[in-house]
Amino acid sequence: MKTRIIVKLDVKPPYVVKPVHFEGLRKVGLPATLAKKYYEQGADEVMYVDIVSSLYQRGILFDEIEQTANELFIPFAVGGAVRCIKDFSKLFHIGADKVVINTYALQENPEIINEAAQIFGNQAVVVNIEAKARDGWYECYSDCGRIQSGKDVLEWVKEVEKRGAGEIFLQSVDKDGRQKGFDIELAKKVVDSVHIPVVVASGAGRLEDIKKLIEYANPSGVAIASLLHYDKYTITEIKKYLRENGSIEVSK
Amino acid sequence: MSNMIGIINYGIAGNIHSIKKAIKKAGGKVKVINNKEELSLVDKIVLPGVGSFKDAIQELENDDLLDTLKIVTLKKPTLGICLGMQILSTLGFEYGKTEGLSLISAEVKPMIVEAKVPHMGFNTIELIKPNKLFEGLMNEEFYFMHSYEVVNYTDIVTLTDYSGHKFVSSIQKDNLYGVQFHPEKSREAGIKLFENFIAL
Repeated sequence: MKTRIIVKLDVKPPYVVKPVHFEGLRKVGLPATLAKKYYEQGADEVMYVDIVSSLYQRGILFDEIEQTANELFIPFAVGGAVRCIKDFSKLFHIGADKVVINTYALQENPEIINEAAQIFGNQAVVVNIEAKARDGWYECYSDCGRIQSGKDVLEWVKEVEKRGAGEIFLQSVDKDGRQKGFDIELAKKVVDSVHIPVVVASGAGRLEDIKKLIEYANPSGVAIASLLHYDKYTITEIKKYLRENGSIEVSK
Repeated sequence: MSNMIGIINYGIAGNIHSIKKAIKKAGGKVKVINNKEELSLVDKIVLPGVGSFKDAIQELENDDLLDTLKIVTLKKPTLGICLGMQILSTLGFEYGKTEGLSLISAEVKPMIVEAKVPHMGFNTIELIKPNKLFEGLMNEEFYFMHSYEVVNYTDIVTLTDYSGHKFVSSIQKDNLYGVQFHPEKSREAGIKLFENFIAL
């Protein structure tokens, strides 16, 4: 299977921002403009996450999402502040293909995964994991690495799979935004724990980091943000590198 | 004859937004169909689908579209996309056994493969016989997002290989076309497929 190269847009409306370490934020542009740019470069998917909505306890801002969806002819995943089946439904109606959930499922009501999967299909339900390394285990966090849950990542991913999630989106609170390489051990553990696809984020700083992650952990997809936002590389360049240097299969 | 394409809007799960957008990009005219009366206003039909086989059939029934669709799709070129292709079959096995539209002799079963399921991402197609829908698209990639597959032996247009397992990725029987992938999510290749559908 071709490894998907996915662009992650962390949005603090109206801007895409780049959180460093899940905290300090830098503005990098508007989501619709960036989504179009990365689509044209050959992104396999775009993932849009409103990173402040849960924290500010406000609802989903649908207009920004719809505008971003309008530019794309590739799958579009959306997350941030999703709390009920109505949110899922509305997001699909304005152009999302997958809905990403973390805080509400993790901290309040995991049952929403079962409900959403039954109504919209497993493929449409993505569970976002914010993992933080503990002494010999990984803990699930929510709200951009701010709130602990006490839950073990490897147990939680198995649970969400059983509940009907179609995909895991794995972030590392420790590595995110630092551009110092992925937590490949965490990635491998999660990929090997479930039968559903796992997309790994947090850490791409050099092309070698992406290659190393794919070769070691074999995730279904890799999510990239900083590398692209700062124009260090284009998606075309990343794919070319993987094809030529790692004999890794990627789409055109 | 005008060339108006009707997208069937049913249930709460439908994502017709991106299909509408892609058909327009391909130069087509689109009408969203909400009831059986509106079916007479269009020349071609696109049957989308999000959710499970069982729910999709139930929703079509609730919206009183099921029986009319069985007849209309025999006359008007119809394209089923993903679950929309699957429900053209005789039987589905998602959340119990459900009878489909029974327009194509096929059953829909879980994918059994030594790899991650859902099958998610861009993949290639192998053309089994020439088909107008796939003109100029032989070497292209399409986006797949599914856990179930159509098991059919008589109407196969393309096959796709997922980790050594070959499954039916598109079918055609008379006016009926079905694709397991999402053309509306498959970049320029998907737009081209809609152009081909419009040109039928």
